[in-house]
Amino acid sequence: MYELSTNCANPKQLRQTDYSDYDAIYLGDFSCLEYPNNFSSHPQLLEAAVTQLKEQGKKVYLRLYATPGNEDLPQVKEMIEAALLLPIDAFEVHNLGVLRILQQMGSTLPVHLGVFGNLYTDATARVLKDFGVTRVYPNPELSLTEIHYIREKTPIEVCLPVHGKIPLVISETCFIIENSSCATQKVDCNGKEVCNFPCSQDYWLNRSNGEWVLKDTGKMTLSGKDLCMIEHMPELLRDGQNLFYVQSHGETAEYVKTVGRLYRQALQQAEQGQDEQELQVPIDALSALSKEGLCNGYYFEGAGQTYIGRG
Amino acid sequence: MVMIMAPGGTKEMALGVLDAGADATYVGVQGWSRRGNKDELQDDDIHEVIDYALERDKNVRIVVNTLPSSTEIPMFLERVKMYHEWGAKGFMISDVGCMKLVNEQIPTAEIHTSVGCGITNYADVHFLSELGATYVVLPYRLSVEEIRQIKQESNVGIEVFLFKTPSGGKICPGKCMMSSYFSFERWLDETGKDHFFGSASRGGDCLRVCQTMWDLESEQQLHGQEMTIKSNPSLWLTELPDYLSAGVECLKVPGRDRSAPLVMDLTNCYRRAVDEILSCDAPNLQRYEIELQQLRHRWQQERSKRDDRLIDSALAASSKALISTDRLRA
Repeated sequence: MYELSTNCANPKQLRQTDYSDYDAIYLGDFSCLEYPNNFSSHPQLLEAAVTQLKEQGKKVYLRLYATPGNEDLPQVKEMIEAALLLPIDAFEVHNLGVLRILQQMGSTLPVHLGVFGNLYTDATARVLKDFGVTRVYPNPELSLTEIHYIREKTPIEVCLPVHGKIPLVISETCFIIENSSCATQKVDCNGKEVCNFPCSQDYWLNRSNGEWVLKDTGKMTLSGKDLCMIEHMPELLRDGQNLFYVQSHGETAEYVKTVGRLYRQALQQAEQGQDEQELQVPIDALSALSKEGLCNGYYFEGAGQTYIGRG
Repeated sequence: MVMIMAPGGTKEMALGVLDAGADATYVGVQGWSRRGNKDELQDDDIHEVIDYALERDKNVRIVVNTLPSSTEIPMFLERVKMYHEWGAKGFMISDVGCMKLVNEQIPTAEIHTSVGCGITNYADVHFLSELGATYVVLPYRLSVEEIRQIKQESNVGIEVFLFKTPSGGKICPGKCMMSSYFSFERWLDETGKDHFFGSASRGGDCLRVCQTMWDLESEQQLHGQEMTIKSNPSLWLTELPDYLSAGVECLKVPGRDRSAPLVMDLTNCYRRAVDEILSCDAPNLQRYEIELQQLRHRWQQERSKRDDRLIDSALAASSKALISTDRLRA
């Protein structure tokens, strides 16, 4: 058995996107509490989404804010309280303090460690297990060999990203608002600045004289290229990996749907015993969805931007 | 009593800052700290620095703040034991699993959490102090009032950097992989230690790709001037009396990758300023602020030279990575 999961930030995205090829959904945008109707910061929006996804037979995980300052902790606690009343299957945390808060609040739900949890070692995975962590998202810098070791030696479930841009940086402030000329700040009736969500457009960072490209979503910077492991799915299944994740933060509904369908097909073929050579790999369709091309991240020990392919 | 901890990017610098008034120097172990090899020390030099410090009733903090591979942990613990036996009192660590193991196996060693731990709030501080941290290094974003509150709630030692990011562009420390995305290179040395060029978290060097010039482009337009991705932190001084009265126990002078003369002058300036604050009720910090202005200028000059060098090496490594994968695919 395996699980194919992805993320969904808010009710609008849930309405507009076909998630039928996914088994599980990570609800919310962990990088920005102000993101419009973010499931991670709007307790009142959660119930309808959880009910809908549960009726479709999916697992539902709630993402908690990744970089809370002291002033944000009350809001995070409120979110946890509301979520504990709903049939969600796990929380995702990126912050050790939030992990401790979950334990103090008496939550017995499984916890998944998110990408900014800085998980590099089995020793750390064991510490986190004592706090209720059942699944880890290894730091993107780890190789497949290191990930395998952590999964077996801890032992612990591993969520393995197989497609999508790699989260490279998280920040406390919004880069787009600080630097974009169209990001005018509105002021509400109390004189408080209100975000006008320039991040609803795609933003790219291009090195002025060179080939480097990154994608920026405001409080996160992502790889310019899309991680793509579809050629390696048989190998990953043989290795015992079974929790596959499509990182779709900031992507279109078409992207989420197409990538989900193609990976579902690849998994079905691999499960039927087709190996790498027999697998019909829809690389062209995936390339067409990625503006800057494909990469393998750090899985094969090279720089994150490189693509090795089947070799 | 507040401890001034100053960098030992080279043996010369480590000995120099102890003479210039630091209570402790922190030195990185080759391949095991968040800096390149040229700002780290070989074991023989580390031993010598420890002896020098102990003779003067000062101490040495060993920087082993990489996030290692799981299989390197036994090697990591052996090293920590060895330096501790040589007389090093404290260790700067990022990996929480390693922190717990050091606390269990070497209980007399003091643990400083590293920036790599990415603390953002009180609850993080509690988590790490319960795990065995002796000192936690706080991020720039916490106010003096927040530090005071942490001290009221916890016995953990508070460490702060003597530099902070003025505003905006605050990439969370310890949560950035931009450098390795472009330029990662990995190899094993003869002792079985993994080396990771281009990744600070893994013991290579951050190649400062955020400091080259970038254009920000959206679907419809190019946005104004080219820019760097992160603003640089700057050295601070005038808030020192407030920080000390809030209960900060450890002041960390930055600069392992700067020149020894600059770092020694900086350490000496902070030493005299702290002594003045501790010895009188109404310290006059103005003359130190004037001195620091000059030091800031030298600091910036050295920084831009360093950034240019690192960015050049990132570009070279990035091209090499892409060429070698092209060859593999061909």
